[in-house]
Amino acid sequence: MRTPRLETLHTRRSFLKTSILGGALAGTVPLFLEKTFLCLDTMAAETSGQHPTGKDATILVILQLAGGNDGLNTLVPYGDDAYYRARPQIALPRKDILRISDYAGLHPKLTAFRDLYGEGHLGMIQGVGYPNPNRSHFRSTEIWQTASDSSKNESEGWLGRYFDNCCKGADPSTVGVAIGGQTPQAFSSATPKGVAFSNPEQFRYMSEAASDPAAAETLMKEMNQPQETEPSSLSENSGGSIGMIDGPGDDMGGTMEFLQRTALGARMSSDKILEITRKSRSSVAYPASQLGNSLNLVARLIAGGLPTRVYYVSQGGFDTHANQIPGHDRLMTDLNAAMSSFTTDLKDQGNFGRVLLLTFSEFGRRVSENGSLGTDHGAAAPLFVMGGGVKPGLHGTYPSLTDLQDGDLKFHTDFRSVYATVLEKWLGAHSEKVLGRSYPTLSFL
Amino acid sequence: MREMFSPLPERLWNRTTAAHLLNRAGFGGTPREIDALVSLGLNKAVASLTNPDEDDDLYPLPHLVDPATRMVFKRRMKDATDAFARREVQRELQQADNRSITDLRVWWLNRLRYTCAPLRERMTLFWHSHFATSNQKVNFPWLMMSQNSLLRRNALGDFPAILKEISRDPAMIRWLDLEQSRREHPNENFAREVMELFSLGEGHYSEKDIQEASRAFTGYRVNQENGAFRFLPREYDSSEKTFFCRTGPFTGDQIIDMICERPECARFLARKLWTFFVTTDPSRENISELAVLLQSNHYRIAPTLSTLFQSAVFHSPRVIAHQIKGPVQWMIQTTRMLEIPLPDARVLESSLGALGQILFAPPNVKGWDGGRAWISASSLLYRYNLAAYLLSGKARILGGGKSSVAVIPLEKIAPLSVRNDPDALLDTIAFRVFNRTLSTKERAQFLSFLSSKPRPFTDTVIRDFLQVMMSTPEYQLT
Repeated sequence: MRTPRLETLHTRRSFLKTSILGGALAGTVPLFLEKTFLCLDTMAAETSGQHPTGKDATILVILQLAGGNDGLNTLVPYGDDAYYRARPQIALPRKDILRISDYAGLHPKLTAFRDLYGEGHLGMIQGVGYPNPNRSHFRSTEIWQTASDSSKNESEGWLGRYFDNCCKGADPSTVGVAIGGQTPQAFSSATPKGVAFSNPEQFRYMSEAASDPAAAETLMKEMNQPQETEPSSLSENSGGSIGMIDGPGDDMGGTMEFLQRTALGARMSSDKILEITRKSRSSVAYPASQLGNSLNLVARLIAGGLPTRVYYVSQGGFDTHANQIPGHDRLMTDLNAAMSSFTTDLKDQGNFGRVLLLTFSEFGRRVSENGSLGTDHGAAAPLFVMGGGVKPGLHGTYPSLTDLQDGDLKFHTDFRSVYATVLEKWLGAHSEKVLGRSYPTLSFL
Repeated sequence: MREMFSPLPERLWNRTTAAHLLNRAGFGGTPREIDALVSLGLNKAVASLTNPDEDDDLYPLPHLVDPATRMVFKRRMKDATDAFARREVQRELQQADNRSITDLRVWWLNRLRYTCAPLRERMTLFWHSHFATSNQKVNFPWLMMSQNSLLRRNALGDFPAILKEISRDPAMIRWLDLEQSRREHPNENFAREVMELFSLGEGHYSEKDIQEASRAFTGYRVNQENGAFRFLPREYDSSEKTFFCRTGPFTGDQIIDMICERPECARFLARKLWTFFVTTDPSRENISELAVLLQSNHYRIAPTLSTLFQSAVFHSPRVIAHQIKGPVQWMIQTTRMLEIPLPDARVLESSLGALGQILFAPPNVKGWDGGRAWISASSLLYRYNLAAYLLSGKARILGGGKSSVAVIPLEKIAPLSVRNDPDALLDTIAFRVFNRTLSTKERAQFLSFLSSKPRPFTDTVIRDFLQVMMSTPEYQLT
């Protein structure tokens, strides 16, 4: 590792002190902030000619298809008669399929996916799942989010463990950004990291609720500044047996410092995020859907140089138990349009090469259609990887439509191998540390 | 009692320690409620919490889709002429269930808000996280309600009794797959979690113990007609089991008794109680002494907590105002402190969701982690804005919806007598908000805000002042 250029470091540090902290903290910039900017500088120094905003690090975008996407009607085994036998009413007509091979092809609405494949930027990993599949939305989502065995309950998310293991020293609030009202379980770790918001205008302190916003803001800033913890004013008024609580260090200083650090991180990241989203506009139009808005926001944050490496977005509505054709068509149309805008946008920005998008859904659906022109909860399914660094085409084989397990496709690729591949080959992380076990990596990267 | 729990000297029983007791053993209170507790004296104050005299059924239960109604739905589904009609009935039931779970949440939150038996509710919340059951899987709000009643009924009772009742609780039976447990194919999920998460902790039993115990918990079913527990003898494995080196035709209840005899069980429960009520990083002595106390009280919660709450160690300056409020705690304590009703159901649902604590939907079987896990950059900002919303009623702050004018009893919070005197005003408000005296630096910061305002201080100034006080790291602690 080369030594960061001192000049830049100096600049960053004075930038920190003057602009973000308003000069109030002269000399006492918290350690993690110094580290954050030190990392950025180091990163920049290693890749000549770029300015130090994390412009060159690879980025991962996770796209959750919530509800259990019907993999069979997404990457369609149109070359298999068994598909048409199992789904006499909801199989997609052979002639409409966007063909990838003689056996499999894309849903007719996924034209942008076909184009990306043609350009060499789309990979399709077939037959992804895990042993002893669980068919509850809640539980199976949890398994994907925590990368646990189906017989085990883990509370920490796989990305949370990545943040903990591989992002030491980085500003904990911007290691990951989830677009949505709640932080995904994939982000959870012992001390929460990353931020979640559906609208950046909401992710800030609303001082205007006060009648004198300026005064409120000033005092709020002062009160939320990391400061020396004073000797407690409580001693004279409360029980004096301090010695009996002699645990390892979670004293007032510890918890207070943690809260102050988080408060400062929140303010900084919200300032940064607002600044970026207010000034950066996309070059292309996005569909006016939730997914479109989410990917648009992610693209703008990437364009603005937010030093975040993991983004998380989701699209809901995939639980297609009844009358699935029109509903699934709409979902595929939205997914396709959003993806088309997002990839065009990233290419225009010149960032396409450093973004990898990975889709997942908690499970696929039954091979056979049910009695309501829909499909019930299943198991293994294909997932997509998209980006400038992807090895295009089909990976793995399509699971047999006749050799089933309880009516479901048998998986042959453990989803944790997909995670391991992304961690090792894309994020440059030690996957065994994050996943708790070693999984073979795949060749889609 | 033992040295660890030597009682707090009478002279240290004051507004600070009384407020601390009310915050930890309940959901805080107003200065008037704190003063009432002070005048009771420590002993009676604690007794009023551990032996509440509020009727258990004071809060009429909400009307949820009950088992009988559900049976009607099921019959309609069966009788449906085609798959589409069946889907339609299913959708109708789903909508009714969605309403039910929201009603149930709002009902419990209101009970937390208004109860005069706050420790019983606080312990009910403790057990809800301990036996973390989620309606996401149970998918039957009425059963969640009946589990909630079970937890409340036993909240301050004895632990082995709660464990036995919970093993027969229909929501739990569904949650941990006991329904699927058959004599020939026992399901191990419940047997595993009962030891790993409910009583002993990982590493204090063998896989063999789990397999043997799972046979004892066979035959546990839910009666679909009335939502009650039903024992199915033909699915029960009555043969001999070898559990913790003892052999016999043990029943589920006997397995629970054997679990509770293990010293690890008392330590496990002691650790959870300590982290919930006292500090997040207990020492070995803290745990072992509390475990001994539990055992000497035969696992009865009320007398154990009574000793703990009267101890000097519980009121230590390193305990007071050191705990991060959970989202529910934050919401209830805030509305009690401001003497305002809870916000409407929509705001309750979205805000507690954003803050990470949806009742009847803990994130997983381990329950809520608590402590620092409550705080992220997003949730902290959200807390600040939620405070601003509660004080102003401006819906835009939380992203839209209907605005209303928040009615805050500012004349109570800042009486006219202190409106001309910044120091007196600060003392009055700070005690209500933080329940403690401020440090010199904090005082100076708050006073500088007041110094620029004209006197007498108007309601508007008081409101701004409250908003800023609640938008601080300090306010997240209790």
